[in-house]
Amino acid sequence: MSLNTFEAPTDGELVRRARHGDELAFCTLVERYQRPAYAVALSVTGRHEDAQDAAQESFVAALTRLEECRSPERFGGWLMTIVRNRSKNLVRRESLRATDEVPPGTRSRVPTPDRIAETNELRGLLKKALMDLPEVQRQIVLLHDLEGWKHREIADRLDLPCGTVRSHLHFARKALKTALKSVPGVSEMTRAAP
Amino acid sequence: MNREWYHTAETDELGRDIELARALAVLDPARGDPNYWLRFRGRVLTGASRELARRRMMAQLTVGDVVGSWARTLVPTALLAAVLAGVVLWRAGAPLPVSVEELLVSEIRGETIRVMASPARAAEAVTFAAEAF
Repeated sequence: MSLNTFEAPTDGELVRRARHGDELAFCTLVERYQRPAYAVALSVTGRHEDAQDAAQESFVAALTRLEECRSPERFGGWLMTIVRNRSKNLVRRESLRATDEVPPGTRSRVPTPDRIAETNELRGLLKKALMDLPEVQRQIVLLHDLEGWKHREIADRLDLPCGTVRSHLHFARKALKTALKSVPGVSEMTRAAP
Repeated sequence: MNREWYHTAETDELGRDIELARALAVLDPARGDPNYWLRFRGRVLTGASRELARRRMMAQLTVGDVVGSWARTLVPTALLAAVLAGVVLWRAGAPLPVSVEELLVSEIRGETIRVMASPARAAEAVTFAAEAF
């Protein structure tokens, strides 16, 4: 077999192998869905630490219940349902616990204090604006504009019509841009962000 | 302040709104921490290691293994039960012959049923009735 004919294994193949304890197959599934799982968890919890915990726990829970995944080819959508439910449970459990969030992404790099302040300000602003959106719009805008998923993929994974996904994305973008517009200097921050 | 970017709708090859994607990128936990997702996978795999090992073991089991594991428990138990039963029988000795009649009589003590309809009692009953009415 030549390298040109090599194709990445489908979700169905990976699920079937993972059912037999294939660590590499499971690891590939985690690698494939870790970012969207985190994005969906973040859209529900609104906090990095909780989103991280919920996403990680969801992968282990999915492995334990892998026989319940009736359509292995649609593993992604099934996983996102688990992530959403676990995130909601986490929010319910910790609703009484008030924790200060440790901002991610500022640990290993040593940016200037000004840059940290700007980034934290933008992050806080975005999170507030996101949490003002309906949950489904948060998920869609994060999966599309952060993770780069296509409309069709989001529609499949969230079990929504494609037109509904487009509509939610439109309103979510509009709301986020309006929120960002209210803060001076955001434009420069976003240009410097990458 | 430059606000023009709010009104542009430039998208990249994935259809993402470029400026919004840039803004949302600050929410990416791997931003400024390139090994974040590697550690994320490591933690997931650590949490899943026991379940993966269990699944590997289940996948390797054959029907013979399952029957064998049953037999390993069942055969000694059956043997032990047979030995115990033999010992009990041996200690009880040979059973004595018991006749059916003997069994029927042996547990009956005294008069079990009063015979009210015997000729002698019948006379008493008639006398009682004659006196009463």
